[in-house]
Amino acid sequence: MLLGFVFLWLGLAPLQQDTVQMDAVEIYGQNLERFSKGMKVSAVDDRDLENYQSRSLGDLLQETTPIFIRQYGAGMLASPSVRGTSAGHTAVFWNGLPINSPSLGQSDLSILPVQAFDQAQVQYGSNGSFLGNETIGGSILLQSKADFDKGFKAGINTSVGSFGLFNLGLTAGYSNEKVSFKTKIYNLEVENDFPFQDLGLPGTPERNQDHAALSQRGLVQDFSWNVKSNHQLRLSYWWNETDREIQPVMGSAGIDTQRDRNHRAVLDYFIFGQSSTLNFKAGGVFDQQEFNSNLNETDQYFLSADWEKTFSEKFTLKTGARYSRAEGRLSTYTESENRFEAYQSLLFNPGQTLSLSANFRELSYSDGSLPFVPSFGLDWVMHQDNRSQLTLKSSLGRGYKIPTLNDRFWDPGGNPDLNPERSNNAELGFLYSREGDIAFKASTTYYHMLVDDWIIWLPQGSFWSPENIRKVRNQGVEFDFGLDGEVGEFHWEFSGAYNWAKVVALEDFGDEAAGSDRQLPYTPQHQANASLRVERGKVFSYFQGFYTGQRSISTSSSQILLGYQLFNFGLGHKGISIGSVSIPLSFQINNLFNTDYQVLYLRAMPGISYQLNTSITL
Amino acid sequence: MKLNRLFLLFLAFSVVIVSCDSNDPEEPIGQYETGILIMNEGAFGVNDGEVYHLNQRLDELTQNVFETVNARPYAGLLEDIVWIDDRLYLVANTGKVEIVDPGTFESIGAVIGDLDLPRSTDIAAGKMFISDYGPFDANFATPDSYVAVINNVLGGTVRSKIPTSRKPEDLQAVGDFILVAGAEESKLEVIDALSEQVTQSIDVLGNPREFVFVNQALWLYSTAADEVYFHQINTSNFSIQNTVTLPVASATGRIALGNGTEAYLITSSGFPDYIDGVDRVDIASGTVDTDWIEGSGFYGIGFDRVNRELYLANANGFQGNGDVSVYSDSGQFIEEFEVGRAPSGFFFY
Repeated sequence: MLLGFVFLWLGLAPLQQDTVQMDAVEIYGQNLERFSKGMKVSAVDDRDLENYQSRSLGDLLQETTPIFIRQYGAGMLASPSVRGTSAGHTAVFWNGLPINSPSLGQSDLSILPVQAFDQAQVQYGSNGSFLGNETIGGSILLQSKADFDKGFKAGINTSVGSFGLFNLGLTAGYSNEKVSFKTKIYNLEVENDFPFQDLGLPGTPERNQDHAALSQRGLVQDFSWNVKSNHQLRLSYWWNETDREIQPVMGSAGIDTQRDRNHRAVLDYFIFGQSSTLNFKAGGVFDQQEFNSNLNETDQYFLSADWEKTFSEKFTLKTGARYSRAEGRLSTYTESENRFEAYQSLLFNPGQTLSLSANFRELSYSDGSLPFVPSFGLDWVMHQDNRSQLTLKSSLGRGYKIPTLNDRFWDPGGNPDLNPERSNNAELGFLYSREGDIAFKASTTYYHMLVDDWIIWLPQGSFWSPENIRKVRNQGVEFDFGLDGEVGEFHWEFSGAYNWAKVVALEDFGDEAAGSDRQLPYTPQHQANASLRVERGKVFSYFQGFYTGQRSISTSSSQILLGYQLFNFGLGHKGISIGSVSIPLSFQINNLFNTDYQVLYLRAMPGISYQLNTSITL
Repeated sequence: MKLNRLFLLFLAFSVVIVSCDSNDPEEPIGQYETGILIMNEGAFGVNDGEVYHLNQRLDELTQNVFETVNARPYAGLLEDIVWIDDRLYLVANTGKVEIVDPGTFESIGAVIGDLDLPRSTDIAAGKMFISDYGPFDANFATPDSYVAVINNVLGGTVRSKIPTSRKPEDLQAVGDFILVAGAEESKLEVIDALSEQVTQSIDVLGNPREFVFVNQALWLYSTAADEVYFHQINTSNFSIQNTVTLPVASATGRIALGNGTEAYLITSSGFPDYIDGVDRVDIASGTVDTDWIEGSGFYGIGFDRVNRELYLANANGFQGNGDVSVYSDSGQFIEEFEVGRAPSGFFFY
């Protein structure tokens, strides 16, 4: 494998000289849609990215996608559950770099501020062959965008809002044909002193949250350089730091604090041929988490090379290899691990209407190997005329999760004999779109997934230890639609989604939960969201709502958290012009009807809140 | 837990009731003042501790009694249930004590705030005393353990804290004194409830866990790696007048008193085999029946002296609901039923 890597590094450098024009996302991203035929992929709408500029990725995904985010309070730990899988079953990538913590095996979406990236995509289902580790339930891909030939640009944006929210962001950039610089700096402060009904106190009085303050700052630096007409270098760096008071569960006193410091850097070098792209990538992810005075640090290093070649209109190949190293200096152990991966992707277009993809990955890590992880998919345009199109998508995929450093090495309890968690995923979907006075698009996906060797930490006398104990069947239907049209001078858009997920343990610890048809805890069977947006000239308004169905709080619990629905409202102007300066202005009301709800048991969430956003762009 | 002690108190209380003037109107027994209360500790970080009620006569199990009656969750990790003077004290190790009417389970008071990791409570000299580990330090040690004092037996705010040895567990009122089972530093401590001072600190063998009454004498149950100890306490001067040492290894500290001088002790081999057992011992004769029951996940134990049945709670790895197995006193399995999360103890009326 290493030889292959060296071969790729040295042997394939001299390529044809012509520049190939490709869409920026396709080049710099993982070419997700191109090579993952038959899988459900959705891009986060740019306007949603704008509306959530002073909020976290967790908030954005909770309110606009069918991903259930387990939120431990306002601004607190937010872990994704895609298609009923656990927090560690979703991989998060930033500019192609996997950024999940190697010790925890997951990302806290509450400390990934939306303002730090330019684009986001969500891929649903297992895709271990193409994306690698931890892509069991799905993957979240975050990207920076590079502009060329735009000259000097600068801006300042601020948000002020309820519960002491104050966000300030500065951006400055310069680009010509050769180079592109962009710098972003942000600082967010939230007191989070929202009123809530304290169910932990006799008489359940309303009181203000007093231990959930948050302060976050960061810097993102992007640099791109067209070294030659067909050579490009890209460098991105992201520093993020979050200090939090940990909001206590109702009934307990808040005393914990947490500080997260994250540095991430990625360097890409591209060599474009007439029908090929060679990419070398090097990256580092450095995480530091201090919980009270307990310090846990992890470093990750990545080195990869891949080559994509289009042999004919019908046939494209991508092949590559990656070396990664994780080092953990945790409060109870110090360990490191090396991983080698090789991957191959084939894209085959036998006709105008049919695309097939196949992906393969081979992986070895310190305690084991996964010799063969395949996936297959197809997109078939079943019907097409000049106004409408119907596409069938179907895929078979596999996902895996290597036991985390904590799973294997935590002292006491770490279990070095754990197997990787594995999943098999099959899905079938239809996409329909129609142009016209009222444009319409809709998609329906059915998926069936089995996750085996699911790792659960169990008490072993005085401490806990992980075991491959659970086997889970996840089945569901995802439906989403979008409509848009014009009425007089108004442009309107209406979109929505509904998800049904049945997630049960076939094998589990204890007799009651397994095979009982009981839904896994904190996994809503029903979820829905809808959004209406109306624009007239530069003025826009939106109204969005989302529903989360009931959840049980443990595998066989009689404690049920009721479903809830929340609504947000926004009104804005895309830019009031004063001379050559444009000033966008928007006003948001979140939780419009002041609904009292808990995402997780006894974790208070804020009621109605207001936010005013403005920016100046030069 | 001091369920057995409470049982004895209840017996004493019953005698008082029986001996009362027969013209006094007798208070009807409340819905929850009969049968068995099952203590479900709940899961760490979730605060879903609750009480289940089992009416054996009607074979009825009522879930989540506290929330059902009071229309709010218990919102804590339920560490201990203590019955004192016809009040039930529900001690949460997440920092509060809720006080309910045993018959109706309606909330009648609480101690909220200024507690850290409460373990148990008792009353002396008209004051409430709460043993508390105190806050964790950076190494998860608890160097600042204490017994908190509250002026009112119906709760209120903590007025003062009496420093104790590390990790005080059970408390036992004897007259105007409070005895403290000082688990980590192997101490029996005596607090004068009037002066609120520790007046004696006695070194004992093992790690003291719980006070129990056997044959109307007060004993302190204490565990060590290979042995357990029953220290008989002279209640006039609080000296240890007798110690029974039994060869019971890996006792967890959970105990239920059985018939006569018998006791049932949970043991656990720990990692990696993780074999749990129940040893039956006789404190008077010193006999030990090792692994009288064997299994895993044993988290709570109780003995119904009326029906002579052993109740053994299994936490099922804290993943979901636990369950309770019932055995006859000859070790015959009778039945099993599902209860709440992490069942950790029982209270028998």
